[in-house]
Amino acid sequence: MLIYHLREVVKTRESEGVAFRLVVPSLQIALGEKIALIGQSGCGKSTLLDLLAMILRPTEIGAFRFRPEPGAPPIDIAEHWRYRRLNDLGDLRKQRMGYVMQTGGLLSYLSVRHNIGLSRRLLGLPEDDTIEELADALGIKRHLDKLPGKLSVGERQRVAIARALAHRPSIVIADEPTAPLDPIAARKIMGLFIELVEQMHITVIVASHDWTHVDKLGLRRLSHRTRQKEGGSVTETVVTG
Amino acid sequence: MRRLSEVLWLAMRDYRHEWVMSGCFVLALAAVLAPMMVLFGLKVGIVGSMIDRLVGDPRNREIQAVGSGRFGPEWFEDMRARREVAFVVPRTRSIAALMDMQAEKGGRILSVELIPTAPGEPLLGEGMPTPGGLHQVVLSDGAARKLEVAAGERLDGSLARTFQGRSERVHLQLEVVGVARPAVFPRDGAFVPLDLLSALEEFRDGRAVPALGWEGDIGEDPLRTYPGFRLYARTVYDVAPLRDALAAQGVEVRTRAEDIDLVQSMDRNLTAVFWLVAAVGLVGFALSLGASLWANVERKRRELSVLRLVGFRTSEIVWFPVFQAGFTALLGWVTASLIYLGVEGSMNRMFADRLEAGGVVCRLLSEHYAVAAAVTLAAAAMAAALGGWRAARVEPSEGLREV
Repeated sequence: MLIYHLREVVKTRESEGVAFRLVVPSLQIALGEKIALIGQSGCGKSTLLDLLAMILRPTEIGAFRFRPEPGAPPIDIAEHWRYRRLNDLGDLRKQRMGYVMQTGGLLSYLSVRHNIGLSRRLLGLPEDDTIEELADALGIKRHLDKLPGKLSVGERQRVAIARALAHRPSIVIADEPTAPLDPIAARKIMGLFIELVEQMHITVIVASHDWTHVDKLGLRRLSHRTRQKEGGSVTETVVTG
Repeated sequence: MRRLSEVLWLAMRDYRHEWVMSGCFVLALAAVLAPMMVLFGLKVGIVGSMIDRLVGDPRNREIQAVGSGRFGPEWFEDMRARREVAFVVPRTRSIAALMDMQAEKGGRILSVELIPTAPGEPLLGEGMPTPGGLHQVVLSDGAARKLEVAAGERLDGSLARTFQGRSERVHLQLEVVGVARPAVFPRDGAFVPLDLLSALEEFRDGRAVPALGWEGDIGEDPLRTYPGFRLYARTVYDVAPLRDALAAQGVEVRTRAEDIDLVQSMDRNLTAVFWLVAAVGLVGFALSLGASLWANVERKRRELSVLRLVGFRTSEIVWFPVFQAGFTALLGWVTASLIYLGVEGSMNRMFADRLEAGGVVCRLLSEHYAVAAAVTLAAAAMAAALGGWRAARVEPSEGLREV
């Protein structure tokens, strides 16, 4: 049962005469899988994550299907992009996805509790113990009524993880969630994160530049290779998995 | 609906969280709006007072004859029938319209000017009884003070003539039925029925007045004519046509038509000037508000894109800055109104001693406040919607990694 099925998806970006191209000849991710995307910064990890999060429009699409629920027919994302149905993509994101950003991405004007509950509120989900339980599991329960500005970077990342999980999405995408942290804290938060995801049966895709601390967590690593083409003016990354 | 209220909630949270920035926007808006409100208040107040005074003061509707003529009963009938005429009453010769008066209880003797009156007297206004018969008068304020009488008291009126070689003086008991306000008649005067004035003129001319028991020559002129009239137009705008009609009859008159024209043209000119200034001010105001709101949206692009990532739709994201612009507009309007009210109060106090009672230099009606609020809201919403639409066009990922 595949949640993602991509074929021949290409994103080209150009800035100051240097082109960057991400090529995905084929990518298949099963429901409930835990995926790691390892590589140095600039290799195209974020671009791939944005493509999978459906917030970045691919330049070329062979096929792009998304099946958030087992048994349901897959959704043709390529078609959504072709007709610029941004609102439909937004609805999908809202219901099916959680996103943990490199740096917080929390709303500075909302308390931790409201930040975590943002997606739940938006979806009109009932108020239950989810927020408390998540905060408890992530060790931020005592901060629930503070503003994010009052928290440390590590605590903010825990809040971001809680927010990504609070509405029980099908998939969580995390872009270097522990990059701003020291290795010990990073390992601890990453462990908590993966543990929670496993408990909740959520598919997860984590990008990281450090293989060592995701190694032990049992994640499947996507392979990619980067090469210079056309005399160095084009950097191309090919991802398969 | 639920999502919109969600956006409203978020917009309010953010607005409150960034209260320093919000306060700056509100003050900037009030700084533009308040002077415009003061300017308009001055225009409304000054021109309004001038027009009120013009319309409210019956002397501006008065048409006075220059010199004396011969006006018969038909002429007065004709005038009364005219639509533009509010009040007309004959005047007797001014030499005969003087009478010595003294309070019945004693005191000084005062020579009082008699003014013919009738029901509908424009100078006395509402609530003042019209003197009738041959014994009732309404005194001017000055005369009442000098004679030391009030309404309800009695006076002794006397006048003299030289008849058949000898000097005669007759007395007449008068009742004060009212005392006019000071502004009505500045000299020592008494409003009396035409019949009394006619009787006094008869007496002075040496004729008998049986009704008062005064002797003299018998034989009244059956076709009585009068040398003058007191004439008031119905409104200030009827003065000029009446003047022209009388001029066509060969009656030369004096009016305040020029003053009325002056105020009317001043109203037109001031209104034009105001709209010119207001148009310039409004454009500047809309631009400054638009620029600040646009900048605000640019500044918030990252947070707006987070909302986008969480799943808000373009149409909902647009509302975020629109709501915030609405808060700015409303708070700015309230602040401007408060500033304006303060200025209005102190200005009116400052000029209070130079104004007639009830007159103001600065005034706004409630609909003016409403118009100011509506214009502010519309300008703010338009500027913010543009910015919001711009932010919503950004792909969610673009805003995310911007530092």
